[in-house]
Amino acid sequence: MEFLNFLNQEPFRFLLAFGVVLFLTLNLAAILVMGERKVAGYIQLRYGPNRVGPRGLLQPLADIIKLFTKENISPGKADLWIFLGAPIAMFIPVAAVWLVIPFAPGAVVADINVAILFFVAVTSIGALGVIMAGYGSRSNFSLLGALRGAAQMISYEVPLILSLLGVVMLTGSLSLVDVVNAQGGGFWNWYVVLQFPMFIVFYISALAETKRVPFDLPEGESEIVGGYMIEYSGMTWGLIQAAEFAGMGLMSGISVTLFLGGWQPPLEFLDLGQFNWVWFGIKTALIMFTFQWIRWSLPRLRMDQLMDLGWKVMVPLTLVWLVITAAAMLVF
Amino acid sequence: MAVSFPGGDLADRLAGYLDGLNNRHGLEEGVVEGNVVRVVVAPESVPQVLATAREQLKVLHLSFITVVDWEGSFELTYELMDLRGGTVRVKTVIEGTEPVIGSVTNVYPTANWHEREAYDMFGVAFRGHPDLRRTYMWQDHFDHHPLLKSFDISTKRTFEGLR
Amino acid sequence: MLSEERRNETVALDGTASGRLARPDIRSEFGLETMDMNMGPQHPAMHGLLRLILELDGETVMRCDPVMGYLHRSQEKIAENRMYPAVVPMTDRLDYFANIHNEHGYVLAVEDVLDAEIPPRAEYIRVLMSELMRLASHIPSIGFLMLELGAFTPILYAFRERERIQNFLEAITGARMMFHYFRIGGVKADLPPGILEEISEYLDGLEGRFQTDTVDLVTGSEIYVARTKDVGKMTPEQALDMGVTGPPLRGTGVDFDIRRDYPYSVYPELDFDVVTDDAGDVAASYRVRIGEVWQSIRIIRQVIEKMPEGPVMADLGRRLRPREGDGFGRVESPRGEFAVHVVSDGSDSAYRVHYRDPSFCNMQLLQEVVPGHYLPDIMPILGMIDPVSGGWDK
Repeated sequence: MEFLNFLNQEPFRFLLAFGVVLFLTLNLAAILVMGERKVAGYIQLRYGPNRVGPRGLLQPLADIIKLFTKENISPGKADLWIFLGAPIAMFIPVAAVWLVIPFAPGAVVADINVAILFFVAVTSIGALGVIMAGYGSRSNFSLLGALRGAAQMISYEVPLILSLLGVVMLTGSLSLVDVVNAQGGGFWNWYVVLQFPMFIVFYISALAETKRVPFDLPEGESEIVGGYMIEYSGMTWGLIQAAEFAGMGLMSGISVTLFLGGWQPPLEFLDLGQFNWVWFGIKTALIMFTFQWIRWSLPRLRMDQLMDLGWKVMVPLTLVWLVITAAAMLVF
Repeated sequence: MAVSFPGGDLADRLAGYLDGLNNRHGLEEGVVEGNVVRVVVAPESVPQVLATAREQLKVLHLSFITVVDWEGSFELTYELMDLRGGTVRVKTVIEGTEPVIGSVTNVYPTANWHEREAYDMFGVAFRGHPDLRRTYMWQDHFDHHPLLKSFDISTKRTFEGLR
Repeated sequence: MLSEERRNETVALDGTASGRLARPDIRSEFGLETMDMNMGPQHPAMHGLLRLILELDGETVMRCDPVMGYLHRSQEKIAENRMYPAVVPMTDRLDYFANIHNEHGYVLAVEDVLDAEIPPRAEYIRVLMSELMRLASHIPSIGFLMLELGAFTPILYAFRERERIQNFLEAITGARMMFHYFRIGGVKADLPPGILEEISEYLDGLEGRFQTDTVDLVTGSEIYVARTKDVGKMTPEQALDMGVTGPPLRGTGVDFDIRRDYPYSVYPELDFDVVTDDAGDVAASYRVRIGEVWQSIRIIRQVIEKMPEGPVMADLGRRLRPREGDGFGRVESPRGEFAVHVVSDGSDSAYRVHYRDPSFCNMQLLQEVVPGHYLPDIMPILGMIDPVSGGWDK
């Protein structure tokens, strides 16, 4: 197998890894749609999709084929470049952040030393895609959705970033690999123990960033009927959906990496070596399940209540906890 | 709760309503039938009669307005309820084929949509109505009033005259 | 719309949403424009085919103008051109979520003009059916509110109950939605054997499930409370002025129920409470609905206990030819006061039939209450009215 060693050298290593990550992201979206429908089904006393393939497992494939064969309709007055660029602008940042997440020991595409900064910077581009979609469609409903989305994503960026700072302070590094390495040696070393309020704030902000219930105001299917994505159809709509679901997966992955020990096994003797990505997968799947659980249980907040929660509750809470963390680090 | 309901014996109350209306307005007819005070008034005095009922007699609720097209005249029925078993039924007859009557929206604001419906279906014009638009039919390019007897339909399903 | 003075009076209430409206002079000073928005008729939360013309200042609604008529079938004209018994199935199509009450109102009106005497068993069966229908309408309406607030699951729990009640209705009437069970002079057929025991058994289970799956799940939710408290607030005077009846009126504290105050059928013989609440907002109207579910269960139990034996149909002859005159029928439907006015000219079809539908009358409060609320608040306010398209459009 010596001849394959060239794959471990740049640029081939990067290209290969990028391909794998892109493949994973797109598939993740499809699998999550399937998972969402199944979870919804069982919560709602029904079965969910169960016709395509064994136990309905091929449903995502059928969905994708359907989306690809649908005609892509755009409104006559739409700003076409912005309209068509929006799904791409939404999807690229979500896919790109996966590059800095360590899946297993040594299995990270780009171990850059400002990974957390990279994550924060790149995810905030997502708001741009929402505004582009809403503005480009030239529809009242889209515009309302886009304005809501922009206000919400920018507001919740603040508690999201502040809640990361506790972890950064404890680790002393912005690299996600360092963060994961610092959490080794059993589940009591995970930052969720020391930074529990921050974990809660991060989790809620992640819900808001990915526009999931109870913060799905930009979509608001019972009031503004899909919001910024109301005019999309076919694969442009599919790409927006993929970006949403991949974003949900990404936020789960990030919260696992930062607070739940990444690929670290819960107990020392459960270490699987190179196969520690199994732990990463299990934890991420659990967090994703809680996202879906919330999605099918709670009603939606209103815009003013959403802003109240963000600015009056979560930002002060993170600030207070940052001071407490700093004081504790000084003492101990 | 700020709203006060009429109390006491129903028969006394109904007699009180009839007296109250009789004292202030010239009624063409006024009787108590069961739980209902049935009065017939001239179309000009309908707003005043309803204002008396609302403000003096405290009959709070306007249930509905029925218009009947008697082909040549229109009969309007205002059904008022005091919410405690008593009903005041004010009837009026407008002669002619182009009925006009005063609006009661400033007495009973709920009459707004009932009068709009009556206008839509029968072409009854309510003088002083703030917003007299059609409720059901098209707002423009449609100048029929479908519940008039002269608006004929082709699917009559009765056997009157056949046997 | 109210006259300007009256509007100022009602707007001056403390704590109403109208306080959120920007003053017009501010708007002109900064050159701000409002946005016109057309919500419906094709909209998932418009209870059918309602169209709202909205004027928005940001997310604040400044003007709300309901436009109706997208489901208008001219039921009143149809009723004039059919014989009396043939109108009963048409009334099913009015408020298609609580059909039994429409049939009841119509047959009461025709029986009034016929001066007919109804056998007691038929009356008890009618009350039984009405209350079952009220359960089947109130429980999903709680789910509809949650659906409009963004939670998808409670509606399915609620529809499970409606489905089971519909099974009983199907067993009794032979149809799931459009029953045509009430006839002028009684009901179509006697109850199938053993159905009363089954209903009684079902109610035992429903009491537990309704508490856990609907009441606790819905009213225990913080977000539900935040979204419905002080939304759509109105005073009793406002509600009466706008002709509101049913749960929204009782939610403001007005103690009015047709079943008690204008008794029909055998309601005077039954023991039940009129549920009221003082808050006058969306949450209050839903507390009233939940209370009415318990009262309906209570009424059904009494009806099952007291159900007399005997015929279910009075002999009124083959061709119904009422005297000349007016007939009135008024029932308490789940949405409010449903009244029917039948004018007879002595022939075998009505000269004029007028339906007073609660959805139509209650919807007037949209014009008055919605301005000043945020756009998403329209949905709970619509849920408070809980209108049905077939009802307001006739």
